[in-house]
Amino acid sequence: MKNWIKIVLILIGVAAITALIVYKFYINKPHKDIEKADADFTVKTENLYKEYTSNKTHSDSLYNGKVIEISGKIDKVETTDSLVILVAVFSQDDFGDAGIRCTMLPIKMMLKKLLPEL
Amino acid sequence: MKKLIKIAAILILISGNLFAQKYITKNGKISFYSDGEVEKIQATNNQVNAALDTTTGDIVFKVLIKSFEFEKALMQEHFNDNYLESDLFPNSTFKGKVTNIITMSFNKNATFSAVITGDLTIHGITKNVTEKGTFEIKDGKIIGTSKFNVTLSDYGVKIPSVVSKNIAQTVLVNVNVSLEPVK
Repeated sequence: MKNWIKIVLILIGVAAITALIVYKFYINKPHKDIEKADADFTVKTENLYKEYTSNKTHSDSLYNGKVIEISGKIDKVETTDSLVILVAVFSQDDFGDAGIRCTMLPIKMMLKKLLPEL
Repeated sequence: MKKLIKIAAILILISGNLFAQKYITKNGKISFYSDGEVEKIQATNNQVNAALDTTTGDIVFKVLIKSFEFEKALMQEHFNDNYLESDLFPNSTFKGKVTNIITMSFNKNATFSAVITGDLTIHGITKNVTEKGTFEIKDGKIIGTSKFNVTLSDYGVKIPSVVSKNIAQTVLVNVNVSLEPVK
């Protein structure tokens, strides 16, 4: 076999493998790790609620898909069979207490089970 | 005698109204399953809003599309950006009635089959649907479940032919809500 054919074949092979790896990585890219991510915004619960109720479109354009660190008073803790949700209540809607709802990450749920007084 | 029956009937009606109760949740669960030729896709939403009025049978669901969680981040991205277009159509809703609510009593533990009919809105398109479900009354709560099929093309959700083998044309939707009485 001529040398240049060998080189071309090797190059094609390398390109194919690289493409496959990139593709595999692309389709399996991980979810954003919220816990490790730096917050794009730091907001108080009451301010976030006020912003959303006064101008939803603007707030959506600002916060959608972003990591927000929030602080404020927790009014109640709701639990389902698999989730712990912290709620800051500001008003009422058709479905009950309306406000800011934070669904905790699984590690927090485990903590909650181990130390129910938390 | 007739009068007595009338009074009794009125009393029953009044007492029915006295126990008029709204049941709600914000932590309902809706998942869907797509059994495509090439891959199986499942997504779950644990933040479903639901409300049931046990006197009138009015039932409402409100779902934030962005809250559906997929195993793969890329699937979630495509679902939101390309298929459901969640920036344009952030919510999916159902507004309807439990047509056989009169046959149910909610004051003791029991299970009832429910027929629910109403308007289902997905991707900005509203269709009238009738589906079956179950209400399980358990310690004052109502656990509502239902399984039904949704055909994507009915709601204008277009799947490009390149991925038509990856995504089923009809997805199975699984609803599970634990409704609590409004205090």
